[in-house]
Amino acid sequence: MRSLASLFRTLIVRPLKRDRLRTALTVASMALGVAVVIAIDLAGDAAVGSFQSSLTTIVGKTDLEILANGGVDQQWIGRLAQLPVNARFAPGLERQAEIQGAGFVTVYAADFVAESNADISRSAKGPADWERAVVVSEALANRLHRPTTLRIQGHDFQVLDTAPAKTEFVALDIAAAQQLFGDYKKLDRIDVFLSPREDLNRAELAIRAALPPGYEVNRPGTRSDENQRMLRAFRWNLRVLSYISLVVGAFLIYNTISVSVVRRRPEIGILRALGTSRGGVFWLFLTEALLFGIAGSVLGIAVGRLMASGIVGLIAQTVNSLYTSSRPSEIALTGTSVVVAMAAGTLVAFLSAAGPARAAMRVAPTEAMGRGSRETAVRVGYLRNLIFAALLAAAGIAASRVRAIDGKPVLGYIAALLAIGAGALAAPALVLGVVRVLRPPLKTVFGAEGLLAARSLTASLGRTSVVVAALATAIAMMASVGIMVGSFRETVMVWLDTQLRADIYIRAAGPTGAGQYPPLPPQTPALVAAVKGVAAVDTFHGFEFRYQNERAILGAGNMEIVKRYGGLRFLSGDSSAILASLPNQGRAIVSEPFANKHNIRAGQQLSLNLGERQVHVTVAGIYYEYSSERGYVVLDRSTLLKYLPGQPATNIAVYLDPGVDSAAVQRQIQNATAGLPILVAPNQLLRQEGVRIFDRTFAITYALEGVAIIVAMLGAANALLALVLDRRRELGLLRYLGAAPLQIRRMILVEAGLLGLLANILGLILGLALSLLLIFVINKQSFGWTIQFHPPYGLLAAALSLVWLVTVLAGIYPARVASRLNPIEVIHEE
Amino acid sequence: MPSPRLELRSVSRTYQINDQKLHALQDVSLAAEAGTVTALLGRSGCGKSTLLNLAGAMDFPSSGDVLIEGRSTSSLNEADLTALRRKRIGFVFQFFQLLPTLTVLENVELPLLLSGAPNSAKTARDRLQWVGLDDRATSLPHQLSGGQMQRVAVARALVQSPDILIADEPTGNLDTGSGDQVLNLISRCATEFGAAVLMATHSAEAAAIAQVRVRMRDGRIENIDRRQN
Repeated sequence: MRSLASLFRTLIVRPLKRDRLRTALTVASMALGVAVVIAIDLAGDAAVGSFQSSLTTIVGKTDLEILANGGVDQQWIGRLAQLPVNARFAPGLERQAEIQGAGFVTVYAADFVAESNADISRSAKGPADWERAVVVSEALANRLHRPTTLRIQGHDFQVLDTAPAKTEFVALDIAAAQQLFGDYKKLDRIDVFLSPREDLNRAELAIRAALPPGYEVNRPGTRSDENQRMLRAFRWNLRVLSYISLVVGAFLIYNTISVSVVRRRPEIGILRALGTSRGGVFWLFLTEALLFGIAGSVLGIAVGRLMASGIVGLIAQTVNSLYTSSRPSEIALTGTSVVVAMAAGTLVAFLSAAGPARAAMRVAPTEAMGRGSRETAVRVGYLRNLIFAALLAAAGIAASRVRAIDGKPVLGYIAALLAIGAGALAAPALVLGVVRVLRPPLKTVFGAEGLLAARSLTASLGRTSVVVAALATAIAMMASVGIMVGSFRETVMVWLDTQLRADIYIRAAGPTGAGQYPPLPPQTPALVAAVKGVAAVDTFHGFEFRYQNERAILGAGNMEIVKRYGGLRFLSGDSSAILASLPNQGRAIVSEPFANKHNIRAGQQLSLNLGERQVHVTVAGIYYEYSSERGYVVLDRSTLLKYLPGQPATNIAVYLDPGVDSAAVQRQIQNATAGLPILVAPNQLLRQEGVRIFDRTFAITYALEGVAIIVAMLGAANALLALVLDRRRELGLLRYLGAAPLQIRRMILVEAGLLGLLANILGLILGLALSLLLIFVINKQSFGWTIQFHPPYGLLAAALSLVWLVTVLAGIYPARVASRLNPIEVIHEE
Repeated sequence: MPSPRLELRSVSRTYQINDQKLHALQDVSLAAEAGTVTALLGRSGCGKSTLLNLAGAMDFPSSGDVLIEGRSTSSLNEADLTALRRKRIGFVFQFFQLLPTLTVLENVELPLLLSGAPNSAKTARDRLQWVGLDDRATSLPHQLSGGQMQRVAVARALVQSPDILIADEPTGNLDTGSGDQVLNLISRCATEFGAAVLMATHSAEAAAIAQVRVRMRDGRIENIDRRQN
């Protein structure tokens, strides 16, 4: 054991210390890979973590909650109290309200007056006058500098106390809230608190039996589970994207250990001749990889924690715009995340080094005596590899045709991995083929430097192929995500053109996050319709609802108007006929993501819980929709209002008479509705907002790709440095033969340029394949929408040129090292 | 009397290794003339390789002057030195030092390519023919025998028709037959190309082709033996 440790010091640690820069580059690559993984994980947790109802912190933990689409009728509190169940039923309401100086803030309402729910009353200073009193969360109180009064929706409230919570909210009594919002009938939910002697199952059964069929009885945590489920595809995709850098890092560890083995073959031979076992040699090199893995992981965790702070806001914004309201909570670096990151980094290092370590193990003792063994390039059977590449590609195609498993495109990701594997295996053949074609022109243009660069890359084919594969993987990811996002953007643009046909849109003032449908003042539609120049007013009623344990959006509009102005495109069927079939019929249309998520086809029946009733509707058609992954079920207003007569309107689409001045009509509408808390926006603004949200959503994707590219660049610099150090004798000899230092420098830069070009070619081919997988398999299975294939050619060309340029820049330092070698020293090292 | 192609005047070379000074060469004076072979003889470590590096303008004296075509190497800048090595000096090494990734022809052509000379491939092919290996032009070095590799190295050294040929133990790694072939070529370099050949060797056979034999010991010239062929 002691002898192995001493061998490790001499054969591994000493060279690592000697080549400090290369060691640092490898550790840095690994660290970045791990950092991205941990950053995405921590930031994702923080963005999702705040879903747990902040109200729990002040009213205590409920045992059951009663919910209904469109709201729970308040009268059920009294009715349920009659049940022979030992429980207390409390009303719950959650709204967004405008607070002076703070903007829109979540307002929770509960029955604070009730005697047994007196936690908050006890903590209050003095006797509580709950009609005009609120409790403010610590976070909000701090932001507002500990106010004593709050002005909510124009009414003053006294601040009784603060609740220890890191999210911002205000809590007030249910009676005060109902008065404030002018809604005395509907509650968001009824919370059920069981007495300790009551059996949960028995109570649940009794309550369920008493309630109408449209009502749901859930255990606590259901909402949180729903949120997690809703976000799983989003988080899964982010997580997978974050592993790209780690995959690129794996290639680089493989490369570093390979270089380490090739350079130390004579030493390994001597060790074997002196009696070191094959296993000993194997573990020696695996331990080297382990060192890289551990050092990279430790550094990566620290960097990742910092990165997480930078991206949590971005993820939270996306969650808010596309899924549901949330506020990012604190980033918590837990023991589990540290262990996972350490394990991921170390395991990747370990696995990627196993191959080269096995090669080291097989070095024969006679190699110690063999001169010229240093030139032994990693021999690559490129034809055999090409056959394996074809097999992997075929397996990838087969995997891409398998359906999602539990809503996750597991086989789609496996297909992507197989494609990357196929690309890596095809790299040697590509390097040989392309360099063979380019050698004559390179020699003509760059002379000796061109010839030497081309020859040197093919001579060390094994190593060149790994670097090309690593760079190509990063480029492919960039290209594929670029193509996917570009295609998606173009698809959304076309869709916005079709969807946004109205001239002016109106909504209630309030937060704009996903699932937020603040009600419009009831008089708004009539006021707008009366404005001169307005041809039609389509009133839309939207609200979040539950369908088969998933949340989606239920909407209802005037289908006659939608038909007249042609605002929807369907996957199949005649748009006009479908829309005409909706009014006064039990029919609905659903968005494509909803249909894909719930496996619904046109003609099928849907069972919807609307208020107290369970309503069956027939799906008349499936329409293209890209604003919500959760999906829409859309009814004609006549159908919705039949079951939920009091359901407030939330949005208005205004169509104008031909030729009228849109801006002037908008002003008239604003005048007519002056004083009402509504927002009036022209078509153009909505379009711009749509594009802004889209671009923000994918900002993080680009950031992740950027890191993968940086890792690959570090790898390119590392690999070029290794090539230089390995060819010291050759570079020294060139000086003897009359090469100027500038020529040596140019040769290395030509090599870097060639590496970049090869990586770009492979990366583009692989990227195209991956983009097809992303668009037609992974995205479709994760989010359910159809994206048209529209590669952003200009952007792609610019990005690839940039990557190529950066690869050449990565060659500057190795080129400098090469040109400064002392020829006498290196030529006499023999 | 014609001026020598290469002249060393009272040359010393000292290396600083940690706190110690190592005197690799001490007060060496020597001249090599066109068309002659000068053999440097002596044990390992006597200063032969140091002298060759100075003569090839790869290293510079601590004191004294190395004159090539009458110009001191110490006075030349990097560009002049590179030009000098390209045009006027050819090197042959004990371990051949061919680039394993280049074909035989490309190895020979390399100095011409580095200097941007025209018709490089034709000139290289001529030199290969001269060493009798034109049929191996497309082979890679590892496909040749040791003797063949050294002949390729000689062709490469001669491709620019240099004034000075520096050979460091050119037969040290060859069997007798191959060694004789290489020595014959080196000898012809002097007679046919008029090069001043400076050759370090341990071998008596190699020394036998030289007109001037310089025996060295501990960084100094012990004696110089000139003979008429």
